[in-house]
Amino acid sequence: MFDTYMKDMNRLVWLPVSAGVLALPLLLGDGYYLNVLNFIALYSMIAIGLCLLIGYCGQLSISHSAFFAIGAYSSAILSLRFGFHPFVAILISQLISAVLALGIGSVVLRLKGHYLAIATLSFTIIVEVIIVEAAWVTGGLQGLSGIPPLSLGSMELDTDLGVYYVVWPVLLLLLLFALNLIDSRFGRVIKGIRENEDVMRLFGVGVYGYKVKVFVLSSVYASIAGSLYAHFIGFVSPSAASLSFAIDIIMVLAFGGFNLIWGAMLGAAAITYLTEYLTDFADFKRVAFGVALVVVMIIFPSGLLPGLQRWLKAGRRAPTGAQR
Amino acid sequence: MTTMIEISNIDVAYGKVPVLSDVSLTVAKGEIVTLIGANGAGKTTLFRALTGVLPKSRGSIVLDGKDITRMKPDRVAREGLAVVPEGRRLFGPMSVLDNLMLGSFLRLTGQGKGAVNEDLDMVFDLFPRLAERREQLARTLSGGEQQMVAISRALMARPKVILMDEPSIGLAPIIVREVFDVIRKLKESGITILLIEQNARMALKVADRAYVMEIGRITAEGDAGDLRQSDIIRKLYLAA
Repeated sequence: MFDTYMKDMNRLVWLPVSAGVLALPLLLGDGYYLNVLNFIALYSMIAIGLCLLIGYCGQLSISHSAFFAIGAYSSAILSLRFGFHPFVAILISQLISAVLALGIGSVVLRLKGHYLAIATLSFTIIVEVIIVEAAWVTGGLQGLSGIPPLSLGSMELDTDLGVYYVVWPVLLLLLLFALNLIDSRFGRVIKGIRENEDVMRLFGVGVYGYKVKVFVLSSVYASIAGSLYAHFIGFVSPSAASLSFAIDIIMVLAFGGFNLIWGAMLGAAAITYLTEYLTDFADFKRVAFGVALVVVMIIFPSGLLPGLQRWLKAGRRAPTGAQR
Repeated sequence: MTTMIEISNIDVAYGKVPVLSDVSLTVAKGEIVTLIGANGAGKTTLFRALTGVLPKSRGSIVLDGKDITRMKPDRVAREGLAVVPEGRRLFGPMSVLDNLMLGSFLRLTGQGKGAVNEDLDMVFDLFPRLAERREQLARTLSGGEQQMVAISRALMARPKVILMDEPSIGLAPIIVREVFDVIRKLKESGITILLIEQNARMALKVADRAYVMEIGRITAEGDAGDLRQSDIIRKLYLAA
């Protein structure tokens, strides 16, 4: 029902959403809100990538902060130490991330379920340790600063508005790619793997190869966000690779719905907004997050977006009924 | 007649516990062969050994002239064996159409979309009800309809042999009859089937030949009609 309904909706909804997104700065003007929106875009990229892997292919991975950091640090190092143009640095960084993801994925995807989660978690910890310890190249705990901003010719895109018109178009393209992918033959196969990989094997599917492909793709999504982040903020620190960040991203999916690309975006928006809104509470923010997550999981176990949709539908369909 | 499946003297064990010993079985092209036996006789173990899920400690399995003894499940599928697993094992939250298309995974890479569309027409001809429900989620279908999807999914692979594991399990008697009507229909179209069943009465009616399995061994074999008449089968399995 939901799957088939979404199939046609995906592309139909994408167009007006894109137009709206690109027109939004005209309404808001340059400033604080654009800054928040830029973070939402970056979070969404990671969330969409992770959604493909966890939600559609059923492989729980806790390594996306690691790939975010790999993307961020590669881009930072390439542009700072080797003088690459930021756009070139971003492209090379994706290549580096893809190769690493291929290597790591080929090993850890021989594992399943909890074992896979733990193996990817270990990888995240390893990456964080390497970033802290290899100070001669990564700057250690102090991180790297002075990363050049994105630029077009002589025009530096160092304002929120400039960054907005880079990260949002990139996000929209990544979104469209993901939407098309899940409706394609490839998408059907990975959903089948999520449902029952043993049966997929009995029908001739090389399950392992598919998992590795999704893992690489998903990691590159996170890495793109990382690279853009580095040039957007101009500074990277080991906190980008932290475990708590990895868990934040999974929380984004829990909010939005694990197996819905649009849900991943809504989750990213909700979490980013909450983070900003709760800034006054400093470290207590994590407590509020936890509570919010529990409430969402109880009321909408399948995530915020599917939950709201069902709720609205039920309201429309049963005006006479006793249901809420 | 050409032999499609030739299982010769295989032994299968779970770790150190032997489950199947010295099992041999053949299925000729266009034939329906049934393997009957009580719970725990080793029928599903044979299914898993044949599909490449379980390793064989002795013996060999040949599918249409090709040795598949040591092949992994996805390789065995490529050699032309399709399955209707026990309990159907459909992709529940996916549509009927998606389920069928996953059955034709290898056809799509090999023959392309045109061939697969023809297969779809063939399947919908056979099961008009599935054509009506193509967009419905598989898990929302009734048990009988789900069994039709499971059989169709196997047909979509255009296999040399279909291996069915207990297609009648968990279904109401009237639906069981429907399922066996379908198997009979498939037989008329010349499809080769190895049918693993507990429901000996129905299985013996539809099959050409039959094997009886008890505690991991084949204890009787022969023409399905003859076996239906034999005293021991009547007493043990038909309760008549």
